[in-house]
Amino acid sequence: MKTNDFAKLHPVILFTYFTAVILFSMFFMHPVFLAISFFCGFLWAVSLAPRETLRFTLKCILPLAVLMTVINPMINHAGLTVLLYVNDRPITLEACAYGAASAAMFSSVLLWFSCSNRIMTAEKFISLFGRAAPSFSLLLSMVMRFVPRFKAQTRAIAEAQDGLGRGVDSGSLPTRAKNGMKILSILTTWALENGVITADSMRARGYGLPGRGRFQIYRFDSRDKWMLTILSALIFAVLFGFIKGENSIRYFPFLSLPPFSPFSFFLYICYFLLCSYPMLFNAVCEVKYHGGF
Amino acid sequence: MRKNSGLRPGFSVLSVVLLLLAPAAAILYGVYGLDNRKYLLVSLVILACAILSFFLLFEQRKPPARDLVTLAVLCSIAVAGRAAFFMLPQFKPVAAVVILTGVCLGGQAGFLVGAVSALVSNFFFGQGPNTPFQMFAFGLVGLLAGLFFRHARRKPKKLFLCVYGTLSVFILYGGVVNGGTLLISGLPLTPVSYLTVCASGIPFDLTHAAATAFFLFVLSGPMMEKMERMKRKYGLMQRDDDSE
Repeated sequence: MKTNDFAKLHPVILFTYFTAVILFSMFFMHPVFLAISFFCGFLWAVSLAPRETLRFTLKCILPLAVLMTVINPMINHAGLTVLLYVNDRPITLEACAYGAASAAMFSSVLLWFSCSNRIMTAEKFISLFGRAAPSFSLLLSMVMRFVPRFKAQTRAIAEAQDGLGRGVDSGSLPTRAKNGMKILSILTTWALENGVITADSMRARGYGLPGRGRFQIYRFDSRDKWMLTILSALIFAVLFGFIKGENSIRYFPFLSLPPFSPFSFFLYICYFLLCSYPMLFNAVCEVKYHGGF
Repeated sequence: MRKNSGLRPGFSVLSVVLLLLAPAAAILYGVYGLDNRKYLLVSLVILACAILSFFLLFEQRKPPARDLVTLAVLCSIAVAGRAAFFMLPQFKPVAAVVILTGVCLGGQAGFLVGAVSALVSNFFFGQGPNTPFQMFAFGLVGLLAGLFFRHARRKPKKLFLCVYGTLSVFILYGGVVNGGTLLISGLPLTPVSYLTVCASGIPFDLTHAAATAFFLFVLSGPMMEKMERMKRKYGLMQRDDDSE
């Protein structure tokens, strides 16, 4: 996939999408829904960042999933179908199945978060709260700006201190620690004083006066409108199925799935469309705007 | 100069819904709904309401620019500090900065700095399912620091701060975040599985608690002095006193 058109949609759509998919992945323990969510999440994460995702899956997700599958039946002894006894404790089929299901759930949640971290960047998150919580979003955006600025300032202070013979690389260990703390102390004083200057400058330019607008970088265009409509329809369909009990499953005392019906098939398709929405959207855009694959 | 310092009607309705109705509805649903993940759902709703109500309070007070920037500076120091020690996992000064903020500027400021630092540092290190639990846990550590030490006549002794830092990080932060891990993982909610999760997190929690005590020991003197000076010189966070 050459361009990522999904990431260019309005932050409201992206936030709705990720909130819905991550919450659904967390709460639907039905095997079909778990499989759909895991499959789509994995595929999308791979298409976003192939090497990182494979490394993350092998090094982090796989061990966790194995651990969860193994630990669950050891701790949880509910369930009627006893497979074997370990130390007079029953290991049940239901607990094993539940362990595998929660491992799949946890893995797909982590995969979806890894996608969300690439798409839902901080400035998009901040822009969401611009209208509802202006002070909070201003606070967030200032922190995002200050962190790299403070790092640069720390380097500058450290170099100046080094020039005075008080660097962190010279002298005995206690001296070095003391010099390091001195740098931190200088940084704090500078940051607080500088913050007050920033604040005074903001006030001088009319921060907080009535009738002031806010900086808006994202426009909600007609494509966004259509996409949000489709997304909401899919989310409501899945939620309706949840209310009808189609997405739920009972693991204890014995496994019981809701009966399979045309409606559940319809729900599986809706959930699949929802989970593969970004990939489908990118594919459609590829054909429409960038002249095919 | 500020247009309306009182409660805005829209906000107060929203805060009532957030503080009372939504958690109550979630608990009722949890009691009557038959879902094996209901504890996670109810706790997420309650956490979100708790965090949002603090943000709403902050929003309602229409903080002046100086307060806002000072809070942003404190959050940034916490986040940049975590980034500076990134090679040592869990050795981070966030809790220490949050506690000192709570002590000097009050519990509400402590909660805000804690929650925002957790949120923003996860933008740098990657958001995960634990983010709301971390936000709430750091916020709680800062809030309680404010409640314990704010109205003390003298400045709290370094020893008390270190003890509070160690205990609060190990018990409160560790307890909340481990509880979150347990709820998300889908292990059965029994004392045994909670202890299993806590035991698996003990090395991290102990490092975190030790780091907090260390940073409090080193930082509390200069940081508190600087914040007190800011308060005296520029009159920061004065409305905090009025509302408490």
